[in-house]
Amino acid sequence: MSKKEDKAQPAEELVKVNKWDGSAVKHALDDAVKTCLLGDRPQLKEQFGLVNTRLLLCALAVGVAIMAHAWDFTHPFPQSRPVLLFSALAYFALMGVLTLHTTFREKGTFAVAVQKEAGGGKTNRTWEASSDMKKYDDKYMLTLCVRNGRGQREQTSTKSCAAFIDGNGIILDHLVANEVNRLYNLLAAEKKNK
Amino acid sequence: MGLASMLQVDEMLGDFNRMNKRQSLYQVLSFAMIVSSALMIWKGLMVVTGSESPIVVVLSGSMEPAFHRGDLLFLTNYKEEPVRVGEIVVFKVEGRDIPIVHRVIKLHEKEDGTVKFLTKGDNNNVDDRGLYAPGQLWLTKRDIVGRARGFLPYVGIITIFMNEYPKVKWAILSILAIFVLLHRE
Repeated sequence: MSKKEDKAQPAEELVKVNKWDGSAVKHALDDAVKTCLLGDRPQLKEQFGLVNTRLLLCALAVGVAIMAHAWDFTHPFPQSRPVLLFSALAYFALMGVLTLHTTFREKGTFAVAVQKEAGGGKTNRTWEASSDMKKYDDKYMLTLCVRNGRGQREQTSTKSCAAFIDGNGIILDHLVANEVNRLYNLLAAEKKNK
Repeated sequence: MGLASMLQVDEMLGDFNRMNKRQSLYQVLSFAMIVSSALMIWKGLMVVTGSESPIVVVLSGSMEPAFHRGDLLFLTNYKEEPVRVGEIVVFKVEGRDIPIVHRVIKLHEKEDGTVKFLTKGDNNNVDDRGLYAPGQLWLTKRDIVGRARGFLPYVGIITIFMNEYPKVKWAILSILAIFVLLHRE
C-alpha cells in the first residue's frame, strides 16, 4: 500500500499533504493557486522581485556571519573585537530589515505576475496573489489583487481549506482552479468597465 | 503510530521534491541563518563580556562544594576590574585547550600593572603548579579567560555527554539539520 504521487496520466501529479498540518496545507494551497493562475494564462509573466530581495537579505546576513567567523579565526579574539562588534550589529540589523520586509512588504504574497498590454508601459497590469491562514483555523483567505498605473483593486475569497482538499489530503486542482478563475474574471471584468 | 509517522515523512519529502530553485535556496539559507544566529550571539557575547569564551562548563570536581561537574559558568574579562585573591577564575594553560576553573590564592602586582597569579582548586590538596606548563610557576593575565560571575547548575551535563559520545551529538545534529532543511517554514 504505497502512497504514490504520480498516477497513470503522465501530465497529472497529485499533491498529497498531511491535512492536519496547517502550514503544509497553506503552502500546498498556495502552490496550487499559483499553478492555476499562471498555468493557463500565458500573458502573465511571473516576477521574482520580492522573493529575490528576501533571498538577497538572507544571503547578506549569512555572508556577514561567515566573514566574522573567518576574521575571528585568523585574528584571535582581543584583536578581532572591533570587527566582531561591527559584524554582530550588522547581522542583527539585517535580520531586522528582513523581518520588516517579510512582515510589511511581502505580507503573505506568494505570486506576482505582470500582464503586458499592447498599449505599452502605462497599461501594464501587475497581479498579486496573497493568502492568509491563521494557526489553528481552517479558513483559507485568498486575495487576488491587480494594479496598473492608475489604481489597485482586489478580490478576496475566504473558504475553509476543506473545500479544496479531499479526505485523504489530496489537493483537488479543479476546485482550486474554479476559485482562482472566479476571482480573476471578477477583476478582469471590472477592468473592462472602467 | 509507526505507519503514521512514516506517512508524514513521505509528505515532507513530497513537499521538498516539489520545491522550485528559489524555495530550495530559501530552505538552505534558513538553515544557514539559524546557524549564523547562534554564531553571532556567541560572538556578540564575546564582545560584551570581553572574554574569548563567555560560557564554560565545569569539567571536574576540583571546586566542590562551590561548583560541581556539569555546572555552567558565566565569565567576564574586563580590564577595569582586576582579578583579586579569593576570586574564581577560568584559565587555559599554554599548549592545552581545556579551560580550568580554580580560585586565586596568591597574587603579585608590579607598579606597571603586570600581575602574576597562583591558583588552586578548593577541593584539591595542592596548588596548580603541577598543571602549569613545564617551568611555569605563575599565571599571567594572558592565560586568564575570565572571572566567574554567575552560574547555572547541571545544565552543562548535556555538553559533557555530547563530548563523551560524539556519535550521539552528530546523529542529533544531523536529524535536526535534515528536519530544518526539508520542512517549509
